[in-house]
Amino acid sequence: MSLEVRDLTKSFHALKVLDRVTLTFEAGKAYCLMSPSGSGKTTLFRILLGLERADGGEVRGIQGKRFGVVFQEDRLCEAFTPLENVLMTAARGITRENARRELCRLLPEESVDRPVATLSGGMKRRTSICRALLAPSDMVLMDEPFTGLDEDMRLQVIGYIREKTEGKMLILSTHDPEDVKLLGARLVRLKPVSRIMETGTEN
Amino acid sequence: MRQFSKQTGRRLLIALFWVMVWQLAAIAIHNSIILAGPWETGAALWRLLPTEEFWKSIACSFAKISLGFGAAFVVGLGLGSGGYCFPILGELVEPLMALLKSIPVASFVILALIWAGSANLSVLIAFLVVLPVIYIHTVAGLESTDEKLLEMAKVFSMSPWKQIRYIYIPALVPYLRSGCGVALGMSWKSGVAAEVIGVPDHSIGEKLYMSKIYLNTGDLMAWTFVIIVISALFEKAVLRLLSGKRIEGGDYES
Repeated sequence: MSLEVRDLTKSFHALKVLDRVTLTFEAGKAYCLMSPSGSGKTTLFRILLGLERADGGEVRGIQGKRFGVVFQEDRLCEAFTPLENVLMTAARGITRENARRELCRLLPEESVDRPVATLSGGMKRRTSICRALLAPSDMVLMDEPFTGLDEDMRLQVIGYIREKTEGKMLILSTHDPEDVKLLGARLVRLKPVSRIMETGTEN
Repeated sequence: MRQFSKQTGRRLLIALFWVMVWQLAAIAIHNSIILAGPWETGAALWRLLPTEEFWKSIACSFAKISLGFGAAFVVGLGLGSGGYCFPILGELVEPLMALLKSIPVASFVILALIWAGSANLSVLIAFLVVLPVIYIHTVAGLESTDEKLLEMAKVFSMSPWKQIRYIYIPALVPYLRSGCGVALGMSWKSGVAAEVIGVPDHSIGEKLYMSKIYLNTGDLMAWTFVIIVISALFEKAVLRLLSGKRIEGGDYES
């Protein structure tokens, strides 16, 4: 089932963040949301997740849907290990050993049982990506997931995301046009002036 | 290890300095009723140590003050959590806590003597003194919970139990530790003060009272030393219990 956003409007006091945004995301496809900072990507995600109420417009196709999410910040429980952070939201069938194996694909093995507070920014980011992908989900939303990752790691993580989101809807915000190609995603641009979405493909 | 012994040595030297000041003051005053020196205090403690009454008094006072503290901890935590979840309950309880916080211990003691009698006075006083401290720290701890983590929990549909374990408890524990640090000292001070006024049998307060009656300053200071030691040990034990799973000084217990 697709996700439809129609005439979505949101303002914070006098500042209009989203202005009649209309877009359709199709099931099982990947989308990269690209636009300058402050153009409403995070607000759009928050509305889709039910964390923010839109001033106008409607969102269809999210009722009863489960989301795997990478927030703009890592939002990890810092006193707990990456393994515990993943397990606290993981799908029912995922065992401790499964989760450890998946984490070890993105993190050095020794870091999996260390408190998150002692990890580097990049390791935290990868933990939050792993958490989103192992959670029970119908759709995956990622808000600038590659922040703090070096080039090699970014490529590795992109491969992991592609593998884990196979057949699921993925909406990811990024500033790098190359991510669109690497993810095999459709490009979605949010124009900062009109704040109206346009859909197309890279190239 | 070397750092540890260096620090311990430094602390011992500081303690020794103040004991010497105490001894010099006792020599200068030269009146053991006004000020008993460390030698007389040590001798009094040495005399008390092998007696059954000494240990019985400590056990009774400890049991009663701990009971008051424990009950206040449970009730304060419950009311604080209830007040956080149901603001109306918080608004209802808030004036009572403000009242308990501002009433002088002496007034409590007199009222409690009428209500509870002298035998269980220290239980009630420790309870009334500790309750608002634990309540206030519980509410502050829960209010400090990271909103972003709560949003994460909502998005991932985390169960209430998991939210409590992974989000609320880590936010609450530092506040509870700080509250207990304050409340433990207060419970001992107020509990023993209540015993001095109520003079229940087999209590530290009774022994302090008797020392006053017989102008036995050596015993008074020996008992004071005992209170300080027990209070410090109690504080360490409770704070250790509250430590649980956390990061401190690089250690991580799983």
